[in-house]
Amino acid sequence: MTKLMEWLSVLTVLGVLWATVTFDLLGLDPPEAVLQVSWPLPVFLLVALGCFSLGTVGYRVATFNDCQTAAAELQAQIREAKTDLQRKGLRF
Amino acid sequence: MASGVDQAVGMGLVGFSLLLFIYYTLWVIVLPFVDSDHVIHGYFLPREYSVILPGIAALLLVLFVGTFIAVVMWKNRKPKKTQ
Repeated sequence: MTKLMEWLSVLTVLGVLWATVTFDLLGLDPPEAVLQVSWPLPVFLLVALGCFSLGTVGYRVATFNDCQTAAAELQAQIREAKTDLQRKGLRF
Repeated sequence: MASGVDQAVGMGLVGFSLLLFIYYTLWVIVLPFVDSDHVIHGYFLPREYSVILPGIAALLLVLFVGTFIAVVMWKNRKPKKTQ
C-alpha cells in the first residue's frame, strides 16, 4: 500500500470515530461535556500542529549555530577566487 | 550563536506559540469540564468562535500566500521574444 493510502485510511478511521462521537451515530448518548470537547477536535488538532510548527521554527531560529569565523573565511576565499578567475579572463 | 535579533525573534515566536496553545487548549479541552458559573468563562468567547477564528485565520493565510505568489510571478514575467 502506498503511503498516501496509509495516511488516508488512518485519517478515515479517525474521522469515522470522531463523527460517531460528535453526531451520536450509534445512539450512545455521550455526556454534554464530551460532545463539547469532541466537535472542535479536528480544528483543535490543526491549531495544535500549527503552534508546534511555529514554536519549532522559532526555536531553531534562536538556536541557529552561526559560525562567524567560518563565514568570514568563506567570504575571503570567494573574493580571492573571484580576483583569481578575473585575472585568468573569466568575466562575471 | 545566532545573532541577538534572531534570538529575540525566535524566542518571541516560541513564547507566542506556547501562549496560543495554552489558551486554545484551555478553551477547547478544559472549559467544558468547568462549572458554567465559574469566573474563568468570562475570559473566553462562546465556543463557536473556537472553530470560526482558526477558519478565518486559515483563509487569510491562504489569501496571503496566493497573493504573494501572484505578485512574485507578475514581477518575474518576461516579454515574449519576437523573431
